[in-house]
Amino acid sequence: MRQGKQNGERRSFGRKGQLPDYMTENICEDLIRLEDMVKIYDTGVLKVLGLKRINLTIHRGEFVAIMGQSGSGKSTLMNILGCLDRPTIGHYYLDGVDVAAMNPDQLSLIRNRKIGFVFQSFNLISRTSALKNVELPMTYARKSKKFREERARVLLERVGLGKRADHMPNELSGGQRQRVAIARALANEPPLLLADEPTGNLDTAASVEIMELFSQLHKEGTTVVVVTHEEEIAAFTERIIRFRDGQIVSDCPNVPRECGEERKTDASVKAEAAQKGDEALC
Amino acid sequence: MLVENMKMAFSAIRANKMRSFLTMLGIIIGIGSVIAIVSIGDTMKSAFEGIYKDIGVTQAYLYIGYWVDDVRQSDYFTLDEMERVKEVFGDEIAYIDCSSYTSADAVNGKTTVKFSFNGIDYNYPEVQPINLIYGRFLNEGDILGRRKNVVMDTISANNLFGVENAVGKTFRTTLYGNADEYTVVGIYRKEQGPLQAMMMGANTEGGEAYLPYTILTWPNDYFYNLHIYAADEEHMDEFYHRLKTYVAKIKDRKPEDFRLNTVKDEMGSVSGMLGGMAMAVGGIAAISLLVGGIGIMNIMLVSVTERTREIGIRKSLGARTRDVLVQFLTESAILSACGGIAGTMLGGGLVKIGGMAMGIPTVIRPGVVLLAVGFSAMVGVFFGIYPASKAAKKDPIEALRYE
Repeated sequence: MRQGKQNGERRSFGRKGQLPDYMTENICEDLIRLEDMVKIYDTGVLKVLGLKRINLTIHRGEFVAIMGQSGSGKSTLMNILGCLDRPTIGHYYLDGVDVAAMNPDQLSLIRNRKIGFVFQSFNLISRTSALKNVELPMTYARKSKKFREERARVLLERVGLGKRADHMPNELSGGQRQRVAIARALANEPPLLLADEPTGNLDTAASVEIMELFSQLHKEGTTVVVVTHEEEIAAFTERIIRFRDGQIVSDCPNVPRECGEERKTDASVKAEAAQKGDEALC
Repeated sequence: MLVENMKMAFSAIRANKMRSFLTMLGIIIGIGSVIAIVSIGDTMKSAFEGIYKDIGVTQAYLYIGYWVDDVRQSDYFTLDEMERVKEVFGDEIAYIDCSSYTSADAVNGKTTVKFSFNGIDYNYPEVQPINLIYGRFLNEGDILGRRKNVVMDTISANNLFGVENAVGKTFRTTLYGNADEYTVVGIYRKEQGPLQAMMMGANTEGGEAYLPYTILTWPNDYFYNLHIYAADEEHMDEFYHRLKTYVAKIKDRKPEDFRLNTVKDEMGSVSGMLGGMAMAVGGIAAISLLVGGIGIMNIMLVSVTERTREIGIRKSLGARTRDVLVQFLTESAILSACGGIAGTMLGGGLVKIGGMAMGIPTVIRPGVVLLAVGFSAMVGVFFGIYPASKAAKKDPIEALRYE
């Protein structure tokens, strides 16, 4: 694993039209590894500690829920995991590559190839058909029109919207929109699927549908990380990481479902978990 | 990618049709006026060229310069000198007269019409197309015999005699104190374009007639200028130079003391005048393009703010700074170019309609159209740089959070 760190040391972009080395090496068993990661927000007047020394490893093929109240730091973590933001201190290895020191355009490239986003409010581009929305990440990956269209149709078929490819987002239901967003997230076959409250704007039936879709994608080998505050949603996952005040308070497999809930209220275990960081297990 | 950007741009422009139209309006008016002015200029130029072709581009007037202080009587021309010039240059001169001219009242019974009389030589139709429809033109006999025969156009004939075909009819007039009877031997039809009529004035009331120059001249007369048509258009400059030198020599003057007024020079000055006009109006149009460009920048800034979230989404999906920049630049360029195309159609259409109404064939150069549309796209790019870079620099997290 240490090998990954060396490989991930800052690499510049390759020649034009060629992907830089760090983009072509999908070698790490640890898809996500945070090492002593701290995020501080500088609001100008005062500095706010967003995340306090996070150590966390997520392996390839896991299905993880990140839980916490609003303000617990889970959104901050989400932004960093999604390479939208950079840690202030520490390292974030995504697929063995340290993204902490990358510039915005390098981060764009990483987001494009390695991460698929699913947002609470779907974030489809309005006045743009489902098909075009799904094509978008491939457009930024400079894929040919033919390739984009074919793959976008396959993906829409896969999420059960093959017949709605030419519909505009406002002609689709919430559940359908979220499925378009999932199809879009899968466009460039990223190793990591990041979902931020993916069911927050959906009714129960649609929520279950979406989570089942995630489960299925997980079974097919995609690493899925879901940020949520709903226990019912977290129940679909296999590992639950709980956050409070910018710290991980528990991190346990979701096999006996009650486990996590017990731990959550147990102050002693919480302290222990904080101590042990990402090593904490039930 | 470019095609994708263009599609996105069109979809964004369509999404706000009214706003896009109002934004384009500045460019439409700017480009429209440029196209209109340039095309009007080109049309006038081609019309002028047509007129000068009709009146013969090889003709020139030679006279003592107005800047010469000590003008003597000998600086003017006599008929003898005209004959000498004719002999010396021979075939190089297609036609020469001493541009003798007078005006007088022509009287036919109770009808009196103010006529202008041009004294010309019999070979005048060789250098100046005259569309004779009745009778004959003046011949050598008329000239040598100082016969009191005239040729006039249909309008003048109508004014004086009430009929077009006035061949054989007579009228009385007093030229230089000599009252006499004159006979109409030929009638021609004046061919005047509407633009020509507009600029030269259509003759509706008075009359015009050609008569032998020998009637208007006497051997001892002095004439202000020589009126010459060079035979060879290609070498006319060189010929006129030699002519001027020769005339200066027989007049014991320097060639610079004589002024040679050629139609070619006049054409040049008309073109220059039209060019100057086009420049002035072009400047005004440039200001309107500037204002239009600022309008585009303004609306692009609004658009960038409105679409902050879209920018965030695009960035989260992997759009790089440059991708967003190019997208918004494309949009403003297309917005502006659409205005340019609409302006071209507006300006060109107005000129065409105006031309049709006046019966003038209009000239709209494709080069000008291309330049105008290209320039408007450039205006779009230029004024799009600031909004687009603002869009491209947006932080993805902030942008995604934007409501």
